This record gives sequence, structure tokens and C-alpha cells, in this order.
Amino acid sequence: MSYRVGIDIGGTFTDFAMLKGEQVILHKNLSTPEDRSLGVMTGLEKLAEKEGMTLGDLLGQCESIVHGTTIADNTLIEMNGAVTGLITTQGFRDEMEYRRGYKENIWDATLAPFKQITPRRRRLTVPERMLFDGSVYEALDEQAVREACRKLRKQNVESVAISLIFSFVNPAHELRVKQIVEEEMPGVHLSVSHQVLPRGPEYDRTSTTVVNAYVGPRVTSYLEKLVTRLQEAGYKNQLMVMQASGGVMTREYIDGSPIRVLASGPAGGVIGSAHTGVAKGSPNLLCVDMGGTSYDMSIVLDGAAPATAGWNMHHRYLVGVPMVQVETLGAGGGSICHVSGGEIQVGPKSAGSEPGPICYGRGGVEPTVTDALLMLGILSADAEFAGGSFALQEQGVREAFQVLGDQMGYGAEDAAFDCWRVVNANMIQAIRRTTAGKGIDPKEMVMLAYGGNGPAFAAVHADALGIEKVLVPKASPTFSALGTLVAKPTIDEERSCSCSVDAPDLEKMRTLWNQLEERANHYFRDAGFSIDQVECIYQVNMRYAGQNFAVSFEVHRCQGAQDFSFLDAEFGARALEAFNARHMQEFEHIREAELPEIIGVRLITAVDTPAPPVGSGCSAPRMAAAPVKRRRANLGEGYMDIEIYAGNALLPGYEVTGPAIIEETFTTIVVYPGWKVQVDDSGDYEMQKTP
Amino acid sequence: MSYELNRRLAAKREPLPTASDLDPVTASIIRGALETVCFEACTHLGRAASSPIINQSNERNSSIIDSHGRLVVGSVGTPHLTFVTQLTVRYGLMHQDDYDWGPGDVFLANDPDHGGGHLPDYNVYAPVFDDDGRLVMIQALQAHQGDTGGKDPGGFTLEATDIFTEGLAIPCLKLVHRGEKRRDVINLIERNNRFATFAGDLAAMIGGVQMAVREHQALIRKYGTDNVRAALNYTVEHTEKRFREEIAAWPDGTYEADVWVDADTQGTPDVKVHVACEVRGDQLTVDLTGTDDRPHLVGVWNTFANSRGYIMVQLCSMIDPEIPKNEGLFNAVDIILPEGCIAHPPPNKPAALGSFHPACEITEAVCIALSNIVPQRAQPQVYKIGMPNAVIGFNANGMMWMDQGVDSRSMDVSAVKGVDGWGSSPASLGSLLLSMAEDSEARFPVLNISREMVTDGGGAGQWRGAPGSLNVKKVLEPVSAMAWMVSAKHPLRGMCGGEDAIPYSNRFLVGTEQEYKIELVESAQLPEGAVMAYQHGGGAGFGPALERDPEAVKEDVLDEYVSLAAARSRYGVVLTGSLEEYDLAVDIAATQALRNKMKAESAAQGAAS
Repeated sequence: MSYRVGIDIGGTFTDFAMLKGEQVILHKNLSTPEDRSLGVMTGLEKLAEKEGMTLGDLLGQCESIVHGTTIADNTLIEMNGAVTGLITTQGFRDEMEYRRGYKENIWDATLAPFKQITPRRRRLTVPERMLFDGSVYEALDEQAVREACRKLRKQNVESVAISLIFSFVNPAHELRVKQIVEEEMPGVHLSVSHQVLPRGPEYDRTSTTVVNAYVGPRVTSYLEKLVTRLQEAGYKNQLMVMQASGGVMTREYIDGSPIRVLASGPAGGVIGSAHTGVAKGSPNLLCVDMGGTSYDMSIVLDGAAPATAGWNMHHRYLVGVPMVQVETLGAGGGSICHVSGGEIQVGPKSAGSEPGPICYGRGGVEPTVTDALLMLGILSADAEFAGGSFALQEQGVREAFQVLGDQMGYGAEDAAFDCWRVVNANMIQAIRRTTAGKGIDPKEMVMLAYGGNGPAFAAVHADALGIEKVLVPKASPTFSALGTLVAKPTIDEERSCSCSVDAPDLEKMRTLWNQLEERANHYFRDAGFSIDQVECIYQVNMRYAGQNFAVSFEVHRCQGAQDFSFLDAEFGARALEAFNARHMQEFEHIREAELPEIIGVRLITAVDTPAPPVGSGCSAPRMAAAPVKRRRANLGEGYMDIEIYAGNALLPGYEVTGPAIIEETFTTIVVYPGWKVQVDDSGDYEMQKTP
Repeated sequence: MSYELNRRLAAKREPLPTASDLDPVTASIIRGALETVCFEACTHLGRAASSPIINQSNERNSSIIDSHGRLVVGSVGTPHLTFVTQLTVRYGLMHQDDYDWGPGDVFLANDPDHGGGHLPDYNVYAPVFDDDGRLVMIQALQAHQGDTGGKDPGGFTLEATDIFTEGLAIPCLKLVHRGEKRRDVINLIERNNRFATFAGDLAAMIGGVQMAVREHQALIRKYGTDNVRAALNYTVEHTEKRFREEIAAWPDGTYEADVWVDADTQGTPDVKVHVACEVRGDQLTVDLTGTDDRPHLVGVWNTFANSRGYIMVQLCSMIDPEIPKNEGLFNAVDIILPEGCIAHPPPNKPAALGSFHPACEITEAVCIALSNIVPQRAQPQVYKIGMPNAVIGFNANGMMWMDQGVDSRSMDVSAVKGVDGWGSSPASLGSLLLSMAEDSEARFPVLNISREMVTDGGGAGQWRGAPGSLNVKKVLEPVSAMAWMVSAKHPLRGMCGGEDAIPYSNRFLVGTEQEYKIELVESAQLPEGAVMAYQHGGGAGFGPALERDPEAVKEDVLDEYVSLAAARSRYGVVLTGSLEEYDLAVDIAATQALRNKMKAESAAQGAAS
């Protein structure tokens, strides 16, 4: 028997999903922030134990291990990356500080500045200049580069970002600077802008390169450590790593482009959602993932969640590589409830996992959303929590809500209920803002809920948004880990290519795509795939002159080697037609009197790997489930005697009509009044609004 | 169209009648839902508009006005547009019968003399009726248009002496009647605009308010008209209460400030804004009595609604940023704008430039006046630049192009107590994206040579202003260029003993024998290769420079925000080591001695004068 293991490290828990043939085995244990690879090894031992094997035997039979890591995100949150310097074109020293004018809060004059990865003393400039057409306007002053290196050495710089104006059109100067830095600063980590993000404009590319330089050494050394541990324990294959684009790739590839793991955490869940939705006949999904600190929303259309590059601000830095779009609201189980200016408010401050909610009994004193759920009877101190890792405690919870109630002029239960209403309203508004940004009417979507807290809220939000169906996968608590097993090995890269659409430079496009293809094939070959397995999707980036962001769209798709016959005389006309369709979809108009311009080519290469099977349909005979107990709870219509069901007893075909609560091993599913839930043939929950 | 009209427009509006006794939590949930609809309308406009200034740089705003004309939701988009909208809508509301308001209607207004800002700020709005035909609220969208059909492209005519030079003024015009677009009217508006993208922008604004109206109607059906009205009352009352709590915490007194615009566009010097902010308990009065009212001034007239709005932008930045932005703010403040002064012009004055200056000087004056009592938030929400240098030329096919020069830069970011100035602009301009060299150079024959912050370009202070940038550009073919200079003689002012920002300066033909400085306005033909250098005033300092932590000064020297010489002469900080070797250290004893000496000298000077 061969195994595939997906691992997702979160702030609180490290999640595992192991695929054994068609069977999925889940596990969850606490993360180990000081050395995250330890938590991974502990979990793998547990999984081996479950299989009655030694760790070595399990790893020996492991076909692949796929890993989603937050190491890059944590580096930016904690701001403890490499000592980084920037070499840029004279005259452009301060773009990283200007941020194109962007500030996070337009109403707050006291907003603290972002912490600079490259303070001004480590942003050095060199005389040189390329023009937009790639011609040299001013030659590179090599002596100035050596002098910059001297200054960076003096400041103990470990990682150097190089970003010169129009290097994506002509990289000659940038490559020469790279050579000189290699000579002058041997062993230093290098990030070169035309390789990290080969497109304009300068702030987007420079910021992406600087962040790459900053997180790179930590990502590389963490993965190296993890690979060593896995190899020592008996794993023989490549470690695959999740990227923010929604694909996975080998460690070797990530080493060359570490920024691609930034913001990859939520991508696994979205890719898993798309896979599940398609299998269950719901290709248009609104995915909501509520954990301890955040509520993440994403959209799947036609079974896909395409990665796009736009104004992706992450931890106060712009990152321009393609990412699966996930919007985040600071609302999770740990979000703190408080009264501010005479109003009940929830978050954005979170109690996190330490001390956590009051009911965790670890010293938390401020009431949280999880505490409110306990007050409402949605959670219970009698039930196991987080798979039995600990039990919730009621002590101090009522008192804390009474403090809020005193300020509002009512009792603790009313205060808890209002906190629940407020956090629901926040999440519903956040979803509407997410869908508005895409021009989507939520009514036409199916909701898919996961994360530890998602299923406790999903149907309330669906109801308010006019959504009639909610899917809750059995594996929802470790859904992101499962998603990493769905994600395909993928390389998604672009190259700058400026030309008009009515007379496109076909020869240049062919050359660039060829280069991208050879580069991708190198990594796929190394990962043990044959080139025939590689699917190539050729995309073009186009925009109207003056637009900040281009739209990307597909112009050709094929399997294996390519003869580029699609680059024919009609290519420009086809590209224009595709651009018009895409622009209409994205922005609801095209400019009749203007021709857009081609600004880049993009190649997405991917290999199909076996994904966890997802069943569909409800062919099992319908049966009414029997509750295991009842308790007093408030599901939005006042306290009532509510039926409680045990999730592990609900087999395919079982139905539960709301109001009811289903207690699963790692999560709680609430069936609100006006809703019913049915277990489908694969054991997943399908909630439906009752007529 | 008179002072009398302005008085009626600005008069306080009563709460809405309602039988509902709604709880505050439900009210705040309804408010949240309305804010989301506002956001959706803005997003729709952003997605569907054709001009990049709206769909990519975000210069747009969405707000809701209730049936009494009160701003009830106004916190989406650009703050400088947020607080102007309700007076425009009030004018329409006051003439509902004349203009035959009904369900499905959409209106357009931009008239400075009928509650508007300057002409380019188009306001498109639509009434929302409940199922019983009762007017509940109005959804409005504002966006800055690239042109207004006046004498000059963009609507900015430096020598204009009346509004008609600047373009088409629209008090209240019905674009959609009962759901049907009025093609004749829309064609007229489109025809009076130079830009091809305008028709798409206008259509996007109409589509945005129509979408929002449908959402509001669904919301009204869900909660009931009385409850929605109660929620609107609640949200205004809540904001007024929160604002008054902040005012009550400020010490009673009258706080005054004078700020000057260098000159009007004809060269008349020292155009004055005077403000007195009086705090009495929880009541604030902002009085502009004493502000310049010389009738012959040209180009420096700020509309009545805009003056109110720019006062509010500053006040809003000086209170808890979480307080919802709505009419409650205006209810807590008495704004006195004397008739005939540059903040409340006589009818038919031009309005385009005045919306920058003296508008920003009004904002700055309010900030200075309140800086002693709200020091931690005393950052002027201004742009002290007159106009970026606009470069105009023609393509081979005869089409005009214009590089508007809204480039990446640093300007006017003053420090507040506890935070040095940082970033490119003050907070309230932080949602506008600046243009990039790699985008603009592919479109225009203009090379960006440099745009770095200049050492010592920030006002010194206990907290330091962000240094202004020197933006140097070279034209690669013959072009014409336009400029308007202010803030050279009267730069952005320091707060609470902090030093002023450096002056703006602007030079053409740099590096040639003909190099010259722009003193006021310029419209020049530049030859190929001509260089322009625009020094932006940076931010001003907060608090006495001699009180700045010497370690912070050392860090500033290492980052070349401050020179070694200025560390000594302006901050009284003596450093050992060298910048070249990155081994600077503060000589504590020498610093203390120098600072004592400088303080004594300054005290002696003060006594002498």
C-alpha cells in the first residue's frame, strides 16, 4: 500500500490528511512554533501509529509528502527575516517607502509606519538607465556597484535584492550587477527582480523582490531542515511544497523562488474546495474558512480558482506574484468581544491560542467568539473539544459577558447573543464585499464551509446572502491539508513582452515561451515526471495603455512538447477577441475606440497527480437520525431545548432537521432553524434551506 | 443661487419620523449593511468605469443621504469628496416637485453654486423609495472627471474669472426617468466633454447607483421602513454623541490660526485664511471670520460646500478613526463661513483651483488651531502642491496626450506627536495610487530622472516630517508644459514648536543657461531635452527639534533623512564616528552642552524680540 500525506501548518494546529488508496485519514496536533518541523514529525509518528507501523515504514511507503507552510508569512509577521539590502537605479531610492502613496487607513493620522525591510541606509543606487524599449540610456557604473557592495558588507547584509528600472525589458545591467555582487559578497543570498517578477511597474517588482530577499533564507533553511528530518526518518521522494498560486512544486524550485510560498496557507483549502465542488456538481462556490483568528473567503468559478496578480498587499508589503485570491477578515473563534463607544464590537484583536478564549482555561480573561458560542449552548463544556485535546470550561465566561452587559444595560446572555449577531453581521458584510469585487451575486453560489469554526456559522451567513445550499466536508477541520493533496505540481511564470496586438512580435513570444517551457521542464524532469505528462497553458497579459493592471487569459493549451503552430497570422485577432471577452467579464466594458497592448506572456505548466476521491450523490436510503442528547441553546431564536447529534454516528443517508447541533470530532456543525442537513454517499454534509 | 440658498442648504436637518424603537445592535447591523451597499456601489463604479483615475487610482466616493438630506453613510472612498455630497443632494431634495422625483430616477449635479464642490466632481444620485412610495434615502456616487467642457482641458483655467470659463454647471439634472435613460440629456452631457472615456464613466456611475438602489430596497423590505429610519437616526445620533465625547475631552478655549496662500493666480500676494476654533464643553465652533474677502482675487475661491467638507476632513482625522462618518459630525460643530470670503464666494466665481487652495489652507488652519489640544493627531490632511507639472504634446496622428505628473513622490507628510511623518502623502490621500515611471514612459516621451527624498527635506521637530522629494523629469521631444506654484513663500507649517516644511520650488530648463524658477504660473514650450525639477515641500515637524531623542537623530543621519550638519545645527546633536563607516554614536555630554547653549540663545533671542 502506498501513501500520500498532506500537511498544513497553522498558527495553532498542524493538520494532516493521509491518503491510503481511496481512504482519507485525518490527524491534528499542536504546532511547535520554535521549530515547526518538530510538530510535523510528531504528527507523522501518530499517523504511523494509527496504521500500526513504524515511522520509517510509513515514510518508506510514502509516494509523496505535500507541505503547506506559513514560514514566509510568519517571517513577515514577526519581521525577523534576513538583513536585506537593495541595489536600484539612481533616482529611485525611495519607492519602497512611497508605496505608490498607499496607506492602510485613510482616517488615521497616527497609523504607525510599516517596518522597513530595507531602511534607507540599505537602499543604495547606481548610475545606469534602460529605456522602455530596452535601449541603454546610461551605461552601468560598475565602480558604483562595487562601492554599494562595500556599504552593504559594512552593514552585515545577508541578502541582496537587485531591481533596476526596465530590467524586465532588458536585463543586461541587472545581470551584470548580480555578477559583481557575487564577486564582492560571496555567499550572499541574491534576488534579482527580472527573475523574481519580470514585469513593471517598478514598485510592484521591487517590493516583490525585496520581500523575496527577506524571507528567502528562512524559507530555504526551514525546508532544508524538514527534508533532512524526513530523509533521516526514511522518506525517499521529493518534498512537494504548496505555493500561493494553488499549485505545488519541489523544494528545489521553491529554493529559487521562495516568495511563491508566501500566502500559500489558504490556497490549499481553496483548491480542495474547487475539487470537492466539481465532484459534487457545484462548480460555483463561495468558500468560507473560519479558524481561531480569521475568516477567509474565496470564490471558485467553473470549478477553478485562478491565481491572479494585482494589488496583493501582504503584511504591509506588495507581492506581485500570482496568488489564489483570498480575502481575510479578522474574525475567528479567538476574536475578542468588547464594548466600544457604546456599541458591541467583535475583533479585530484576537486572544489567539495563548491565552486563548476564557473557556480554554489557559488564563484568557477577555470574552471571545468561542466563549459566546459556549454561552449560547452551541458549544458545551460536556463535549470534547478539538478532538478531545481538552475540555472547555465555563468558569469566568458568564462574568466576562456580564461586564459587557453592564455597559449595554442587559444580562450576560443578551451580551453573548449580541456578540454572536455582530460577528455574523461582520462576516456577512465581508462576504458581500468580496463578491462585489468580482461582480458576483452570492445567491447564485453554493457555500462550502470549513475550518474549525466555519460549520458553526455557515448556514446563518448563507441565509442572509440568499444562498440555499451549504456543503460541509467531513474533512472540513483539516481541509487545507487535504487540499494540498489535490493541488497539482505547477510552475506559473511570466516574461515581459511589449508589442501591439495588431502586429504582435510572434518570434519574440515564441522565444520567451520556449524559454519558460524549457525552464519548467527542467524542474518537472527533476521531480521525476516525464515531459509528456506536462500540460502547458499559454497565456497573454494585455491591457489598455494607462491601466495599472493587466488581464491574463489563455490563448492555447496542450500536453507535452509544443510546435507553436498557434502563433500564426490570426494570432493577434484571436488574442484581441479573448481580451475583449475577459475585459468585459472583469470590468463590464471594453473601449471601442482603442486597441489594447500586449505586455507579457505567461506559461502555466502542471502535471496531474492522483487527488483524494470525492464522492457525490445521495443514493443511500434516507433515514432520520436519532439525537444523542439535548441541551439548552440559542440558535438565533432564543434559548430552546436543542437536539444534539454525534457526527461519527451519522452515516450516509441520515438526515437532521434544524434546529439541531452536530458534534464532530474537530468541529461543530449547527443546523439552524429553517435548514436541514443530509449526509451524502461519501459521508459529507449537505445543508439545504427548507422551503 | 445665493447666500440665502447656502444658508438653507446648510441648515440643520431633523431626525426622520419613525415609530420604531430599535435596539442599538440591530441599528448598527443595519448601518453595516448600508455601508456594504455603499462599498458595492463604489466597487461597481471602479470596475465599470473606463478612465484609470476612477477604475485604478480609486478617486471616487460613495455615500448615502437620508430623505431629510442628512449624510448617513459617508466613509467609502476619498475623504475630500465625502463631506461635500450632501449639500448637492439637498438642493435636489428641496426641489423634488420641480424636478418630478420618483422611483427609478437618477440625477446628476456638479454646480458649485448649488451645493457642489468644483465642476469636475460629478455627483450622480438616485432616490430610494419604499414599496409604499415613501422616500427613505438617496444613494450618491462622486468621481473626479477628467474634463468639464470648459475653456481648458481638465477644467483648470488659471486666469478664469467666472465659473462659465471652467465648463458646464449642473444644479440638478435628471439622467434617468422612472428607469428609462434620457438619451437626449445624456448625449448633451457627453458632448460637452473632451474625453472619449467619459461616456463609459457616466454609464458606470448610473449603473452603480441603480444597483445600490435595488440593494437598499431589499434591505428596506427585510427590516421595514420604520426600522431603517430608526437605524439612520441612531447612526447619526451615535456619531454626534461620540464626536461630542471627544470634544468634551478637549480643554475649553478659543484656538486660532492664520495660514496664507502665496498668491492668487494673478500674483496678488498673501491670501489669508483665518480660523478660530472655539471649544465649550461638548460644542465646537469653527469660525472663518477674518478670512480674505478681497473681491478681485482670481482663482482662489473655494465653494461653500467644499469649505465645510475640508474643515470636516481635518476634524475627522483628529478623532477616533472608528467613529462612523456622517451628519452627526456636522451636528456637533457650528461652522461659520462669512459671506463673500474666499471660503464662501459670491455666485459665479470660478471654483476649480480653489478646491485645492485655499481649500487645503482651511484644512491646515483647523489643524494648527487644534494642534495644541489634539497633538497626537495634528497632521494636516492637505496637498500643498499647486499643480503637478502637466506636460502636453501631440501624437503623430494628431491626438493630444497629457502626462498629468501625479508621480511617485513624497510631499506634505507632517509628523504628529509620537509618529514621524512617513510614506508619500498624509493619511487621507492614502487610497490614491500614484503613477509609475515604467508605465508612463511607455506612453509619454518624458523621462523620470529622479524622485528621491532630499536630505534635510523634512521639517525638524521632536517628531520629524517626511522629507519632500525632488522630482526631476526630462522631455524627449518638444512639448508644452503648465505649472502653478504655491507653498513657496508660505510652506506647510510646523506644529507645537516643530519647524515648517521646506518650500516648494519648481525650475524649468534645468542645467542650461536659460534655467529659471517658476514664481507663479507658467505655460511654456519646452525644447527636446529640457529638464524640469520640482522640489516638493515635505512634511513639517512636531514639537521642538531640541527635544528629539538624540538616538533617533543618529538613525536619521544614517538614513540620510538628516545631514550631519543639520543634526548639529537644527537638532543640537553631536555625533562621533562617520557616516561612511556606519559607526556613528551620540556624544551625550557634548549634545547636552550644545542643546543647553542653543536653548539659552533662543531664549535670549526671544527676550530681545
